[in-house]
Amino acid sequence: MLSGAPMTSAVEKFRYDDDIVRKFMVMTLVWGVVGTLAGLYVALILVMPSLSFGLPFLTFGRLRPLHTNAAIFAFAGNAVFAAVYYSSQRLLKARMFNDMLSRLHFWGWQLIIVAAAVTLPLGITSGKEYAELEWPIDIAIAVVWVIFAVNFFGTLAKRRERHIYVAVWFYIATIITVAILHIVNSLAIPATLTRSYSIYAGVQDAFVQWWYGHNAVAFFLTTPFLGLMYYFMPKAANRPVFSYRLSILHFWSLVFIYIWAGPHHLHYTALPEWASTLGMLFSVMLWMPSWGGMINGLMTLRGAWNKVAEEPVLKFFVVGVTFYGMSTFEGPMLSVKSVNALSHYTDWTIAHVHSGALGWNGMMTFGLAYWLAPKLFQTELWNKKLANLHFWLGTLGILLYIVPIYAAGVTQGLMWRAFDETGRLAYPDFVETLVRLIPMYWVRVAGGTLFVVGAVLALVNIIMTWKARPAKYEDPEHEAPALGEYTVAEPKPTGSILAYIARADFHRAWERKVLKFSVLVGLSVIVASLFEMIPTFLIRSNVPTISSVTPYTPLELAGRDIYLGEGCYNCHSQMVRPIRAETERYGEYSKPGEFVYDHPYQWGSRRIGPDLHRVGGKYPHLWHVRHMEDPRSTTPQSLMPTYAWLLKEDTDFAGIQKRVDVMAMLGVPYGDAVNKAEGMAREQAKQIAAEIQTQGGPAGLESKKIVALVAYLQRLGTDIKKQPQDSSATRQAQKSESPVMPPPGAALGAVK
Amino acid sequence: MKLSDIMSSMGLATYAEISLLIFFAVFMGVVFHVYKKGSQETFDRAGRMPLDDDHPQDPRDVKENA
Repeated sequence: MLSGAPMTSAVEKFRYDDDIVRKFMVMTLVWGVVGTLAGLYVALILVMPSLSFGLPFLTFGRLRPLHTNAAIFAFAGNAVFAAVYYSSQRLLKARMFNDMLSRLHFWGWQLIIVAAAVTLPLGITSGKEYAELEWPIDIAIAVVWVIFAVNFFGTLAKRRERHIYVAVWFYIATIITVAILHIVNSLAIPATLTRSYSIYAGVQDAFVQWWYGHNAVAFFLTTPFLGLMYYFMPKAANRPVFSYRLSILHFWSLVFIYIWAGPHHLHYTALPEWASTLGMLFSVMLWMPSWGGMINGLMTLRGAWNKVAEEPVLKFFVVGVTFYGMSTFEGPMLSVKSVNALSHYTDWTIAHVHSGALGWNGMMTFGLAYWLAPKLFQTELWNKKLANLHFWLGTLGILLYIVPIYAAGVTQGLMWRAFDETGRLAYPDFVETLVRLIPMYWVRVAGGTLFVVGAVLALVNIIMTWKARPAKYEDPEHEAPALGEYTVAEPKPTGSILAYIARADFHRAWERKVLKFSVLVGLSVIVASLFEMIPTFLIRSNVPTISSVTPYTPLELAGRDIYLGEGCYNCHSQMVRPIRAETERYGEYSKPGEFVYDHPYQWGSRRIGPDLHRVGGKYPHLWHVRHMEDPRSTTPQSLMPTYAWLLKEDTDFAGIQKRVDVMAMLGVPYGDAVNKAEGMAREQAKQIAAEIQTQGGPAGLESKKIVALVAYLQRLGTDIKKQPQDSSATRQAQKSESPVMPPPGAALGAVK
Repeated sequence: MKLSDIMSSMGLATYAEISLLIFFAVFMGVVFHVYKKGSQETFDRAGRMPLDDDHPQDPRDVKENA
């Protein structure tokens, strides 16, 4: 239809850069195997803690972040980049802006992944879920992301296609939003090369962290994969997307609504009830475009369903898109308060995440790989039957994973809240609710194994396809008219403003103006985020101070560092919700004012072990020492790994001063401790070590890490039980809440 | 007086509600625009873009009759 159109400017010749796509694609499959293997291992050590062999770097707490980072940023990340580099060049009819930037992006990203794989098992972590990497790596991520952005927007600027296809809009939203999310959430002050403290504390830190976490799911795992869907599904089915209109709606609803959708960001903040309800409405509204998107993807196959039976690529896409629909139905449901009260901290969340990650991201990525391989390596796919086998193994693996884990989540949630006829907890011992899940955890191991085998088959298939590649790749030259001036008149506001809006040429005008379009997307994300955050951050009454809450002692701070480094938050929450079942089990519910010195917060998101917020003073020191040395000695059925090395390794007393200084810099009122942290820490350590000895424990522990950790654990949640001291230690003592009075909208469970 | 004191007394909480309404309005605007009549052809053309790697569907210097 265009070959006949008048061409007014010179025709330019160009080639697509497929080499960079090959690089990203191969690494996607390599990291896919690594990430899923790490997942399988952490699933195994949950049922067989002995498989950690007592080694620090093989514990669940350190390896679970490795698994999540590998799956999200290495596997899904590389898949996104492969898809973006392949489809953007073709949609824009232009080679990438700069080949060198493409390579820097590739090697930089792989280096970051390797750095993550080395530092996380070493216990080097910032202690924020899904954002564990420490500050030097965070900076590297920002730099590589900027390189990617420059390369991408440079390509947009020299494109030869006027209209920007909807897939590219999704990519633009991804690039802008991920940059904002990453930078804002990672703001921290370094104490050493391997330890930094979030500039936010407690409730605010939780708020920023889940603003990041929630939107990272939206803009790292959803929008780029939707872009991928809108390009590669039509390609694979060889027909245009079912409804381009629906795809535009899908895009804007995600950009405009997603940031507001999670009512878990609105509940318990300064927002009044009706706004919270409107937030819920948004969340329900998100079902429509999400399902619209799913239907749009599936209907793209109209009249081509016969192909699905024979083409593994389409099978992967169909299952992937279906899981997108399932997860986007489940997500809003989980954010309904009454559902969340049951599901939160249970395996339900884990099942939900894996239906999204394995079903949506995983299946879309493998479909992409099987579709791209023959094009990239310019030969037939090595073994189509193997790809089909992978499809069935993968699908069965996902079902075997999620079904028992859903059951585990509901089972444990119901057991936690069960009361007997006398009004007491039916299962007062936490471990009772955990051992019940072990059979289901074994089924998960089986499902995970199938999925890993599938990922290995994919890697083998791609490597064998690569081996059959031609001696020299064909690199066809393409032609298109050079960039020209816009010949379409700017839409002028004629007639009434309503008529202008109704005609709405402005949207088509924006679509062609990359810069304006990007600014608009960026603006909508920033504005929504600011309006969401400012009230929580700056309105004092949101976090009432509690006069008896004081900063951690230097030794407790060192113990807290150990808690962070070992990733205890991966299994233990520090947030007792205002629910009777929880206050019965753990004690007084948590108040926002108790976390004001927690840089970063440690509320956690999953209770594989019990909540620890009120653990302080619950057991004698010696219990903790024995429990860390061998958890089975105090709780025979415990699934916790042993932490025997904490009794052998020395606390870094010399480094404590630096940490206290950074905390003071962040506004923690340390007063005198600022200058004598090390001495104070040694003194407290000596005292605790002596107490351990009088309780019948081993002598000579005062320089060991265990003492610092015990100091921290014994302090947890005890401040509100103290009598308020004089007001010098606290700010605004008069305004402080009474520890027993429920605050209006306590910011509990504000995370999902 | 600290910045947070100033910000606290500004009554910013209302802004969140206003912005929710703005976002809602913009979203409804997009819905209205997308489903208005008379642009089927444009959308069809855009929808075909992924299918041709060799020729632009919408080259930048072609006159548009819209």
